[in-house]
Formats: sequence, C-alpha cells, structure tokens
Amino acid sequence: MSATPLLAVEDLHTHFETPRGRVRAVDGVSFSLDRGQTLGIVGESGCGKSVLSRTIMSLLPSNARVPQASRVAFDGRDLRRLSERQLRQVRGRHMAMIFQDPMTSLNPVMTCGAQIVESLTHHMGLSRRAARDRAVELFTAVGIPEPARRVDHYPHQLSGGMRQRVAIAIALSCEPALLIADEPTTALDVTVQAEILDLLARQQRERRMAMILVTHDLGVVAGHTDEVAVMYAGRIVERAATTTLFAHTRMPYTEALLRSIPRLEDPPHTPLQTIAGRPPDLIDPPPGCRFAPRCRYADDDCRRATPALAGDGHAFACWHPLGAPS
Amino acid sequence: MARTTIDGVVAGGDAEGLAVRRRRRRLGVGFWLPAAWIGLVVLGAATADLWPMPAPETIDFFKRAAMPGTVGEIELAGQTDLSEYRYLLGTDSIGRDILSRLVHGARVSLLIGLLSPLIGLLVGGALGVLAGYYRGRVEGVVVAAMDIILAFPALVLLLGITFYLGPSLPNLILALGFLSVPASARVARANTLSLAGREFVLAAKAMGASDLYILVREIVPNVVMPLLVFAMLLVAVLIVAEGTLSFLGLSVPAPTPSWGAMIEEGRELLDEAPHVTMIPAAAMCLTVLSFNLLGDRLRGLIDPRESRL
Repeated sequence: MSATPLLAVEDLHTHFETPRGRVRAVDGVSFSLDRGQTLGIVGESGCGKSVLSRTIMSLLPSNARVPQASRVAFDGRDLRRLSERQLRQVRGRHMAMIFQDPMTSLNPVMTCGAQIVESLTHHMGLSRRAARDRAVELFTAVGIPEPARRVDHYPHQLSGGMRQRVAIAIALSCEPALLIADEPTTALDVTVQAEILDLLARQQRERRMAMILVTHDLGVVAGHTDEVAVMYAGRIVERAATTTLFAHTRMPYTEALLRSIPRLEDPPHTPLQTIAGRPPDLIDPPPGCRFAPRCRYADDDCRRATPALAGDGHAFACWHPLGAPS
Repeated sequence: MARTTIDGVVAGGDAEGLAVRRRRRRLGVGFWLPAAWIGLVVLGAATADLWPMPAPETIDFFKRAAMPGTVGEIELAGQTDLSEYRYLLGTDSIGRDILSRLVHGARVSLLIGLLSPLIGLLVGGALGVLAGYYRGRVEGVVVAAMDIILAFPALVLLLGITFYLGPSLPNLILALGFLSVPASARVARANTLSLAGREFVLAAKAMGASDLYILVREIVPNVVMPLLVFAMLLVAVLIVAEGTLSFLGLSVPAPTPSWGAMIEEGRELLDEAPHVTMIPAAAMCLTVLSFNLLGDRLRGLIDPRESRL
C-alpha cells in the first residue's frame, strides 16, 4: 500500500434540492481506493450508488449540492476545489467512466472510431492518423472482431455487447488511473455480461488501473472485486474484502440481499426471499438505523440511535451484527 | 473467445447490407417523383433567361388570355424584332406568355421557399439549441422572445415591413424568415432537451469534453436531421404563404412574375380562361406537395433508426 491512496473520499454528501425538500442521495460516505485495486459498490435502486460515482467525476446535474466539507481527493488533489477547466483535464485522461446502457452512451451520428479519436487527439495530443491506429489497437484489446472495419461503423450497426466494448475502449483510450463502471452489464444479457466483466477485470489487471464497479448485483462483484462496499439509503453500511464479506456477513441488510438471490438448488415454486418494505424516503429518513424498519433483527435501540460504520478491515454499521456472540 | 465471433457475425456485414437494401427500397417512387419535379423547377428557375421565349413582361396585345398552343408574334428575350412563337401554356389576361412567367416566377417561389426557412433554421436552430442545452436564464429569455413573436400577428408585421421598407423580394424573404424563427427554435429546443439528457452527452463530459465541443459535435449533428425534416414542411408552407400574400398586395411588386401574383391576376378570367389561374396554381400545388412528400420520406428514413438507438 502506498502512502496516499489513488482515490480518497471523505464524508461525501450529495444533496438534491427538489420542490419536496432536500434529497440526501449520498449522506456521508468515506472510502479510499489504492492503485490497481477494485472496489465493488453494491446496493438496490435509489441507494445513491450512481450519484456517488457521478459526484466523484463531478458530473452532477445543476440542482445537486455538495457541501464544502466533502472531500474527493484523487492522487492527492482535491477534485472539489478544481475549476471546470482543470476538471476537464482530469476526466477522460486520468479517470474515466463506463455507463449502464451502451445503447445510449455512444453518439449515434459519429462512427465508433471517431469517438475514440476525439479523446486521443484532445488528451494525448496524437495526430488523427496515429489516433486511428491506436483506436484499432484498443478495439483489438477489448475483443472486437475485425477492428479495422469496426472503427468506421456507426453504433447502431453493432450489437449491445459490441457497443459496450466500444464504450470500454473509449474509456480506456487515455490509460486512466481510475475507471468507474456504473452498472456496466445491467443492460446486457447474461452471457455477454460475463464476457464484459472478464474483459474489464483483464484490462484492469493489465493496465494496473483502479476500478470502481457499481452494481446492484452481488453476483457481479463476487468474482471481480478486491473489496465490496454495500450501500443503503445513501450510506455505506458494510465494507470488507470480498471473500470476507461473503463468508462472514455481519450486516443484516447484506444478508437480506444475499438471501434474495434465487438459488438453482431450491425446489421449484420456492417463494423468493424478498426484503419487505421499501427503501426509506431520502428527504426525511427514519431516525436510528435506516434499515431498521425492514430489518428482521431490529429492536428499539435500532430505531433510536444510528450505528456508526466501525471496524478495521471489516467495517459495518449495525447494533446487532450477525455472528456476534449474543 | 467463441462468443465474440458469434457476436461479430450477428452485428456484421449481414445487418449492414440489410440496412442499405431496406433504405433503397424505402425511397421508391414516392421519393423520386417529387425529387424529379423539384429538380425540374429548380433547373427551370436557374436557366430561365436562356430559354427561347419572350421575357415575362413582354406583352402580345393581340393575344390576350390565349389558350395553350396558340401561335402569335412576339419579341423573344434579348431580341428586338418580332418572331413567330407558340404559347405552349397560353397567355395571361394582358397577353404575356404564361410559360415564361411560370419559369421566371419559380425564382420568387423558390427564393422565398428556400431562403426564408434557411434564416429560420440558422437563427431559430441556434437559439433553440442554446436554450435547450444551457437551460436557466438563456432558455427563459429565448422562450419568452419566441412566444412574443408567435403572439404578434404576422400579417400586421408584414404590412408594417411593406409600408416602411417597401415591397421587395429581400424584405419579404427577411420578414418570412423572421416569422419562421420561433417554430424552428421550438423544434431545436425540444430535440436538444431530449438529447442533452442522453447518456452519450454525459459520457462525452466524462471523457473531458467542453461545452463547445458537446454542442458542436454531439448535439448539433443530432438536431440537424429533425430540423431538416421540419424545414421541408416550412418550405411548403412559405411557398403557399407567398401566394396568399400576393392577394393582399404584400408579395413582390407588380412587374416581377410570381406564382401567387399569376393566380391573383387570373382570378377575374376564371370562367372564360381558367388556364390562366389553373396553370400557376397547379405548379404551386405540385411543388408544395413534392416538398411535403420529401419531408415525409426524410422523416421515415430517420425515425426507425432513431427508435433503435
């Protein structure tokens, strides 16, 4: 471990001002990520994981507010204090992002090659000729067959899986130190999902990038991350090395998520173990532990006081963690 | 990677060839016929001075409201002595060659029909894209300005321009162009709004693109096609508008032939010599229909591709 982590997020809050009130989409998240490490961020829809990744990239809509105290330090520089112009030098060049839906994340009226060439000429100062050759190389690296022909194709001529490979090639084009993949496989079918995840893992290893894999699918993070952070209602509720998290789950929410995955060995017509209730309203969250209203182990303590995220290595925010001697 | 090759084949040459074939088939007669007619009108308007026919203002006093095919004696354009000439489309109420006036009149209709929408497209399109992309105060000002122009009676504005600046083709083009700005701005803004929310704009930002780059390379190329389709319809509307304005004396001044003026002048002879009105009316009708059909075809070509994005 090096002295300064590549990415250090400290007490990050992201609020949205809406007519109904202030939505605390991200409510005090801290974590750090070293070079070459992979962090999975898992949570159900609306838990703030996408907003978190966009806050790191400073890609928030205009009604979003990030309080002064929040810090996002990338390679020792506080991104929150950079000007828009300085941020543009960081985005794409040093940190890149892959989006959920490859159907909409590519410009329909530009050829796939042109979309890579633009960022290569802009960030790396390559000539168009050299950038094109580099684009073909990148297409080869992400497993696109006939790369020399594909660079001249428009996105609508490619399948979903191919488009996501193009999006990955664009993100990798400037050799970023950090890659944020925001649900990169959610819009793809299952067989293609595995390929894309393997591709990301391979590229991450070869290029020694740090990667944040944002997903709602625990199965996705299981084989592809070093560490996992589970988010609930804008906060990280459990964080541990991937193997530890699955082997020794401490937070009831994580356990509930794991239980809700249907198993092949279950007999037919086994009812799906869902999590009762709905995620809390982020404008007016309940007092105490935010998962308490839906938690099977919750008692009055849970509804009164908020547990802090505590623990070295394996951190969790719970008054009654699983596997604790009672 | 076995799956990759399968993926590649599915997305590969076959789909591409199919798309090209489908597009060719979809163009069909409904595209080529209107395109041919518009090509003919444009060619006629461009080469009007070269044709062996009388100038549009030359009058044959002996052949008034003559039927098509009548032979008379008249000075051809650029000549001083009379020569025998067959009025293929007849003459109008004071004895001017209808074919010559039709061909020269096409210039007015085309200039108005093409230049005015161009002004609307450039000014309105730019305003709309800026309003849709930057939102906030820019959008408020643009939308309010457009609403004011829309609420202002167009005829009063045209009357005012004719009264103060005089009735001339450039003034008319500018006035009609000005009036077509709000509609173009709305189309551009609506399209920009939906595009700006798309992930590829966010993806471009995530790759470090500036606002200017996003506007020029990501938004505008995507807005151009729907705007062009809209412009095709605008062309048709403005050609008809020129005709209507002729009846109010707000179109180009008298000796200059225009289709609208020809229809208006033939009105009194409608029962004895209907061809004087019907021929320019038919020309206008065909041209307007052609632009509408082309616009429709163009939209048909874009829409299915859009829905597959």
